[in-house]
Amino acid sequence: MFFYFNFMVEPIIQRDKYNPKGKISAIMVEPIINIKFKEDQMNSKIIDKMIGIVGEDWVVSSAKEVESYIKDETEEAIAPEPCYDCIVVKPRTTEEVSKIMKYANSEKITVVVRGGGTGCAGAVVPVKPSIILSTERMNQILEIDDNNMMVYCEAGVTLFDLEEEFKKHDSLFFPVHPGDEGAQVGGMIVQNAGGVRAVRHGVMRNHVKGLEIVLPTGEIIKTGGKLIKDNTGYDLTHLMIGSEGTLGIVTKAYLKLYPKSSNSGSLLISFDDKKSAIEVVPKILKKGITPLAIEYLERQFMEKSADDLGLKWPAEKGKVDLYFILDEKKQDDLYEVSEKIVEECEKNGAVDSLIAETYKEQRAILEIRSHGYPSVQSQVVDILDVCVPIGSINDYMDGIEMLSKKYNAYIPSFGHVGDGNIHNFIITEDGTKPENYEDLSEEIFKLAVGLGGTITAEHGVGKIRNSRLKLQYTDKHLDILRQIKKVFDPEDILNPETGITSL
Amino acid sequence: MNIIVLIKQVPDMEKVKFDREKGVIDRKSAGTEINPFDLNALEAAIQLKDKDDNVHVTALSMGPPSAESALKEAIARGADEGILLSDRTFGGADTWATSLTLAAGIKNIGIYDLIIAGMQTVDGDTGQVGPEIAELLDIPHISYVSEIEEVGSKFRGKVDIWDGTYLKEMELPGLITVTKDINDPRLPSFKDKMKSRKAEIPVWSYETLEEYLNGEKIGIKGSPTVVKKIEVPKATTRKGKLWRENIDQAVDEMIEIFKEIKVLEG
Ligand SMILES: Cc1cc2nc3c(=O)[nH]c(=O)nc-3n(C[C@H](O)[C@H](O)[C@H](O)COP(=O)(O)OP(=O)(O)OC[C@H]3O[C@@H](n4cnc5c(N)ncnc54)[C@H](O)[C@@H]3O)c2cc1C
Repeated sequence: MFFYFNFMVEPIIQRDKYNPKGKISAIMVEPIINIKFKEDQMNSKIIDKMIGIVGEDWVVSSAKEVESYIKDETEEAIAPEPCYDCIVVKPRTTEEVSKIMKYANSEKITVVVRGGGTGCAGAVVPVKPSIILSTERMNQILEIDDNNMMVYCEAGVTLFDLEEEFKKHDSLFFPVHPGDEGAQVGGMIVQNAGGVRAVRHGVMRNHVKGLEIVLPTGEIIKTGGKLIKDNTGYDLTHLMIGSEGTLGIVTKAYLKLYPKSSNSGSLLISFDDKKSAIEVVPKILKKGITPLAIEYLERQFMEKSADDLGLKWPAEKGKVDLYFILDEKKQDDLYEVSEKIVEECEKNGAVDSLIAETYKEQRAILEIRSHGYPSVQSQVVDILDVCVPIGSINDYMDGIEMLSKKYNAYIPSFGHVGDGNIHNFIITEDGTKPENYEDLSEEIFKLAVGLGGTITAEHGVGKIRNSRLKLQYTDKHLDILRQIKKVFDPEDILNPETGITSL
Repeated sequence: MNIIVLIKQVPDMEKVKFDREKGVIDRKSAGTEINPFDLNALEAAIQLKDKDDNVHVTALSMGPPSAESALKEAIARGADEGILLSDRTFGGADTWATSLTLAAGIKNIGIYDLIIAGMQTVDGDTGQVGPEIAELLDIPHISYVSEIEEVGSKFRGKVDIWDGTYLKEMELPGLITVTKDINDPRLPSFKDKMKSRKAEIPVWSYETLEEYLNGEKIGIKGSPTVVKKIEVPKATTRKGKLWRENIDQAVDEMIEIFKEIKVLEG
């Protein structure tokens, strides 16, 4: 029997929550009771085996604690129903991961890898009794190689850790930033995360140069390295990227770094109507201007989000904003590029343009933007994540306008307009599915695919979009994907019913 | 009404590095910005100007020639003009010498009704310069203002300090220092930013201010205080402890720890 308590973790909140009068013993004792009494949920043989591999402190089997490992950020209304009969195992090393997988494979026990749990497609939610393999302890940045401009790190390093590390670094940075900094490198790789800065730097796929992978059968393989070119055989690195935790477990990764430019600025350009704001985006890109980010933001969302955070959204005039993040080598370049953007926007009816240059002011805008979804999460039924070719973005938005009239629904739009990836929200007062949900969402998917687009740009198929795959792929295409899964995971133990596998 | 806003250019404290060995700030390690509290001071002035076309806002700074960019930024954010007090002899000044120099600059401007400063700077943290200037100019002052109101010819400031809230009134001319709660500084419009880059910033040297200054009392020579060393406390890291056997003893030990780190009252 053991007892663990980390006294640096917001002890005041814990006292208030559990025992406002200040007697402290209840906080202490509760976890012990849970750990000891719920062990019989999953086969105790499996628990013992896991303890044998990672040690007693790193196996969690109490229902209460397991509960915080079985959900992600998927909207309540469409999230898969999680299975509670799971245990959480927290390995520290690749070898421990390998041992866990060898055992699970031989016993045909389902394993779901858990990163930061920030996914938006239920990929990380276990739907069968499972070993949840949490990578939280595999959190070391192993090497920053300035000459090769690469970072080598473990899969459990969070986006927050990376941002902090490179805030300190003199000259290099890692460009990908999906909104939630709790996301881990492993999760970002297998979800091929995108985020705001993708306009200039692309998605994870552009920056992952090599991997250490534990296969579902427990063997360890290594792909790529600190290389810019590598044509030896089929590229398994790229097969892992976007595999949604179904083909193997990423344990380490080489990520490409980029030189920082010290002249960054954010522009907020306001418009009275959506159409004018959207229309101008391809025009700007066509001029050869490539900001880090171009985001389309509807004002009422941003005001709500800012309010939530105790901040203020800086723009006041107009109804929608385009948010540009720029980063240029020289200060003069920053202003020159800004001037071109502002000019183009004004030609298209912009009513105001603001510029933020200090770290704090730019950070506040990004924070409010990133909090956009969490601030309305309780009302959102589904954040659609389609992407269309950037040249078709106007047609797509017209289509959304039409559907909004047809279904008499308010369908706000939000996000990465600079790469054709606008998130449309299906939203109700309390976040419950409206009657027409299936039809409406299906029509939006068809609209996107009809324009040469995709049903998911960055959140993935996960466990929520499987039934829509046929809108985009032929049977043969899907069959190839299924065969690939079989090669990697013959017993179908790694994150089943995710992505492609359940079809 | 003529308002003077005091502006200091400081290193971007989010990025700045400290040299632990030498006990100094490595000013080259980060870009510069306007002291964040001074942005609140400027915003307070601009809000008064929004209400009354007759308000004229002058941003005043003492600093190296490079501080010109902070004054241009102040113009981008709505100030009508900026004046820089810069001279080798001003360098190395403590709060007292700084206040004397800025007060001389204000005397040289001549006509003013209200002076607004930030409550303190983020690279010095003393909070002394504002009130010292008011004393040197022999005008009333209110520090740590979080709300202002014009009441006839007077200014009323709300001040939250310790557990109390004070409403203080002063006659003009007077000086206030403001907290960050007073407003949310606006971002400059891109147009104003561009215009401000072309603005001319007059630089006043020791010579310009000579009639108001005593050469012995400015800069490092005139500074009775010196910062000998800055101690940067090491960031606290998470600590954990594991009890495996005796739970009662664990609870006792933890209560002691909670008392020690003061999360348990009584
Ligand atoms: C507020 C908010 C904003 C967001 N914005 C964006 C955005 O702009 N762009 C974007 O792309 N995404 C965005 N996301 C989604 C999310 O952050 C990403 O999908 C993220 O990359 C997932 O990382 P994670 O570590 O949280 O993975 P998890 O959610 O823990 O897991 C996701 C999947 O990856 C698997 N997995 C995790 N780690 C490993 C590993 N080491 N090896 C193998 N499989 C693994 C899991 O099994 C699961 O299938 C946002 C999420 C939130 C909450």
